[in-house]
Amino acid sequence: MADRVERLTNLLALLLETVEPLSLVAIAGRLHGQYPDGQTALRAAFERDKAALREIGVPIEQTIVTGGAEAGQTRYWIDRQRYELTDLELDQDEMRALQVAMAATRPGSASGQEAMWKLGAGLMEHGAAIAAIIPDDPWLPTLREAIAGRTQVRFTYRDIDRLVDPWGLLLRTGFWYLIGFDHERDERRTYRIDRIEAAVQPVPGSTFERPVGFDANEAFPDDPKLIGADPNVPDARVLIDAHRAGVARREFGDDRVVTAHEDGSVEVLVPCANMHAFRSWLLGYGEYAEVLEPTEARDAVISWLKAVAR
Amino acid sequence: MSVERRGPRPAEARLRRLLVMLPWLMERQEVPVADVASRFALTEAEVVKDLELVSMCGLPPFVDELIDLYIDEGVIYVGVPRLFIRPLRLNSIEAFELLAAGRAAMQLPGADAQGPLGRGLLKLARALGEDDTGVLRVDLARPGFTNDVAAAVEAGAEVRMEYWSASRDASTTRVIVPRQLFSDRGEWYVRADDDRSGELRTFRVDRIETMAPTGRTVTPPDTPLPPPGEWFADGSIRRVTLRLAPAARWVAERYPIDDVSPPDADGYVTVRLAVASERWLERTLLRLGPNAEVLDAPELATSVQATADRMLARYR
Repeated sequence: MADRVERLTNLLALLLETVEPLSLVAIAGRLHGQYPDGQTALRAAFERDKAALREIGVPIEQTIVTGGAEAGQTRYWIDRQRYELTDLELDQDEMRALQVAMAATRPGSASGQEAMWKLGAGLMEHGAAIAAIIPDDPWLPTLREAIAGRTQVRFTYRDIDRLVDPWGLLLRTGFWYLIGFDHERDERRTYRIDRIEAAVQPVPGSTFERPVGFDANEAFPDDPKLIGADPNVPDARVLIDAHRAGVARREFGDDRVVTAHEDGSVEVLVPCANMHAFRSWLLGYGEYAEVLEPTEARDAVISWLKAVAR
Repeated sequence: MSVERRGPRPAEARLRRLLVMLPWLMERQEVPVADVASRFALTEAEVVKDLELVSMCGLPPFVDELIDLYIDEGVIYVGVPRLFIRPLRLNSIEAFELLAAGRAAMQLPGADAQGPLGRGLLKLARALGEDDTGVLRVDLARPGFTNDVAAAVEAGAEVRMEYWSASRDASTTRVIVPRQLFSDRGEWYVRADDDRSGELRTFRVDRIETMAPTGRTVTPPDTPLPPPGEWFADGSIRRVTLRLAPAARWVAERYPIDDVSPPDADGYVTVRLAVASERWLERTLLRLGPNAEVLDAPELATSVQATADRMLARYR
């Protein structure tokens, strides 16, 4: 039997060059001797080839014949316009910059390398001196496409099936977030993508409007203590020992420091509407921080410490 | 996912590579096999095998004429092309890779929105149907000294810094030559030749309290740095095993772990965690409270309890 790459290349060429959609029988006839003879074996081999071409990204169009002696027959072709990469008209320095960007943020990514080859660049280099590690997630490409195409998506999150208008993606504090409008909850929501539980499914034929001027960067506060922040909940006042006062000043800025004591310790105002995040932050200072008020925050910390101390 | 691979190549992978190789060859028409091999991460034998194969492809009545190509004395010659002049369009994964990489790189110190990367990204985003850059953002918040470290890396400059060490809970003065700066899991790190230990060490940029160049510059050695992200794979770093309640499972997503068990009936998982500093682990356990249990280091559990006691003393 011939090398499968030969058959795949011929199939690809045939579907690109045909002036009219082709049935499986016509395809097998044109690729004479390359497909097995029996109907079942032919169908199985063709399905495998079709799946392989689609897997590498070839858009295979299909149509079903209506009316006439061949009604119900499926016919195939490839639209050359859809197949070919549009010329991005990248200048040499722009291409080079994209290549450096890829090496600095996605080194070793097979898909990233494939993308660079398609744009006409060479093999990626390794070991960028200034770099960022960008986490991966299988839903990201689907979500990005849905966002660009304004297609609604369905997925499960916290055990709830949701229908969401995807507005934007944001990588922050090492996690990817989706920001969108949740139709089950009837409000804007933020989801951590690695916590999406079941497959993200674009809803065919759907569409939505994104708010004008939407920017994922401003969609939610970057400090977890501020997520769910409530202007009606007053800030906590926290005493930080001299030993760690400099760190607290750098973290919050001088305008949050309400009192500086002679011994070098400081009192800072810290949002505490999200008690969970507040407690977590406070405990990071170990024995060098003490929450002074409000009483609820103080009590919450005390009961947590008692549970740990046993 | 890695570009490296060995063993027989599946037909899909070979075709995929041919579809990027052919347009590139057609544009040049005459290329040494060796150049193609190194550019497309193949052996010369693989290049020759696949190109000879496609040169045999064709459809009646143009059998053998689909791709006009021959190889002679290690050089590939390509005639007038008819098909495969343009590469295949980008698939959704590749599109995402390019945009995310570009947007992330724009957040690295020294990036210029008006420069080639900014311009290239705009063309790319437009071609990929994105009508607004605000829909795909990367935020790599930079602590105070990030730009200074970047400048030192670029210049090979030696710097003196005061660094707060979590493991000692004290500040120390160190002289380092920063060699690599990277962001990982929401934190910035600098890998540097450390004067004090004489070794390549990793420091957290947000723990640098002061920094100034010493005026000396050092030519970096030729030894390549291991890729960032593998800094914790060092076998000499201690491991502990933790049992985590569902409320504490974020630890497995946030910190470097060797492995994680599937959740049991109650949703608890067991993880093996790399512990660069016991002090850090103690703080983390304090934050996790009743949601985490140390399985193989009883002395750690005791010291966490002792810290909780000391903290409680402040509230009495």
